[in-house]
Amino acid sequence: MFRKILVANRGEIALRVLSACKELDIRTVAVYSEADRHALHVRFADEAICIGPPRSSESYLNIPQVISAAEVANVDGIHPGYGFLSENANFAEVCEASHITFIGPSPELIRMMGEKDRARIEMGAAGLPIIPGSDGVVPDEAAAKKVAAEIGLPLMIKAAEGGGGRGMRVVRTKRELVPAFQTARTEAEQAFGSPHVYMEKLIERPRHIEFQVLGDRQGNVIHLGERECSLQRRHQKVLEESPSMALDAATRERIGCQVVQALRKVRYSNAGTVEFLRDDSGQLYFIEMNARVQVEHPVTEMVTQVDIVKAQIRVAAGERLEDAVGSFQPRGHAIECRINAEDPDTFVPSPGRITAFRVPGGPGIRVDTAAYADAVIPPYYDSLIAKLVAHGRDRSEAIARMHGALDGFVVEGIKTTIPLHKRILAEPDFIAGKFDTHFLERLAPVEAK
Amino acid sequence: MAKKSKQVFGGASGIRGVDLAEVERLLEFMQKHGLEEFEYETSSVHIRLKKASNQSSAPVQLISSSEVSGPAPTSSAESAARSSAAGTTSDLHLIKSPIVGTFYAAPSPGADPFVARGGRVDVGQVLCIIEAMKLMNEIESDVAGEIVEIYPENGSPVEYGQPLFGIRPQGKK
Repeated sequence: MFRKILVANRGEIALRVLSACKELDIRTVAVYSEADRHALHVRFADEAICIGPPRSSESYLNIPQVISAAEVANVDGIHPGYGFLSENANFAEVCEASHITFIGPSPELIRMMGEKDRARIEMGAAGLPIIPGSDGVVPDEAAAKKVAAEIGLPLMIKAAEGGGGRGMRVVRTKRELVPAFQTARTEAEQAFGSPHVYMEKLIERPRHIEFQVLGDRQGNVIHLGERECSLQRRHQKVLEESPSMALDAATRERIGCQVVQALRKVRYSNAGTVEFLRDDSGQLYFIEMNARVQVEHPVTEMVTQVDIVKAQIRVAAGERLEDAVGSFQPRGHAIECRINAEDPDTFVPSPGRITAFRVPGGPGIRVDTAAYADAVIPPYYDSLIAKLVAHGRDRSEAIARMHGALDGFVVEGIKTTIPLHKRILAEPDFIAGKFDTHFLERLAPVEAK
Repeated sequence: MAKKSKQVFGGASGIRGVDLAEVERLLEFMQKHGLEEFEYETSSVHIRLKKASNQSSAPVQLISSSEVSGPAPTSSAESAARSSAAGTTSDLHLIKSPIVGTFYAAPSPGADPFVARGGRVDVGQVLCIIEAMKLMNEIESDVAGEIVEIYPENGSPVEYGQPLFGIRPQGKK
């Protein structure tokens, strides 16, 4: 088991990893930028090392600084959290070269899943249903036209090095195709360093359904059920839940098995999430895989009672899944609301000092947050300040508990998206489980003052 | 509101992933709060807005600069440096570490230290080495003057921003 782990992250996920380490009796090292000097992850870790100025690129994303801190603190493991360096294969390699265990999949698997066109081909070959599309990167306009003729319109042009909702273009008419193809390549190069794009049929009104997986170093893989993450704004998830109202037991079983088999084939290890889009007819298509722990992992933890982060640490230490996870039985329904420091109507970021902070509690309520009264939310990082999770015996109870929790969550001094979540939960379509990824767009916008 | 979905795919705005209406709101926000500079970063977008201003004013910090004395992070090297830094006189120019690493006072084990208390240094003179990831980084002085304080112990870990030397600036040697 690890002796000491460095958490290469900040905010709520850093706290999450710290608590898992504490439970496993592992000493912890936090790294922080100057903007996070008073952050909770710095306070609660056993040791803390300042690694740079506020800018992420000069601190949390600065590989030499992070590795240097790991060496100076003499750690034997690094947990990257999510975002930042968590899907940076180069970072994983540098950890290995420095004889520090990277708590995540191997660099090769990170790379495979990071190249979205390649992941699509590999997972397709491994048996997962994929959206009709190009066979890998589309090299030129002629090829683009050919693919469009095969798969039909509308279609999506996606950056191979993109992902997470970035670098995607919709093409609805033949006329748009070539200009969109050229622009997509230029944008992809500028944003991700590579002009490579691939194409997929566009699914209108899709539902986003993802499966949580865990693998050990011995080649065993399990899934922990699915999450529905259709409520998104500009491809950023806003609310997630498990189980999905759109999956029946048979489909869940079938897709779950396919996912496990596909990942066994590629010898996937540690935590990951396999993302699908579900079309109107109920067909699921693999779109991408995230080779890390996800923001919304608490939803699955509440339903399965499995501690995913502890499991990550344990399999990284060499334990088999049956010991790291054990047996589990999904129970009830969980919903997570991502609470951001943003105006709930205009979504303009609202950094600043929190003057009052009261977190709800009671049965079935979990709050993952690094915010506190008098904390200053810096403007340098993402706006997530808390994840509010409600679990109930069924979806109605989870919704009812979430209502109460949102009402009891007091944040003053900054604006938050708590009012938005209250609106979502009151929507008849949400309550009926009738929604797709365009739900939030359609939610009647409130007039900005 | 239909325009928003088009801009998601970088259409009308021409700037991938950026909603110009949102940028305008950010500019209003800056105006309203009298900000010169504003930086916003998420996993998908990084916006930096800087006002072209006539005065050469430093960017307004959005973070309160009053450092509340909460429980300090427990890095022994750092707290030692902090407590001695707290005792320094205000005319000392602090040389702070630009990287995380191990502080070495001399070029190699057993050799004489680069500088000593009371010694005079010039701009560009090497003061110490900070080892990071097996690379030896020479740290140079950016002022000329007298070494008054050497904060870290030889061979101890240092973090970004940690005070290394306190120099009383004086004319060249």
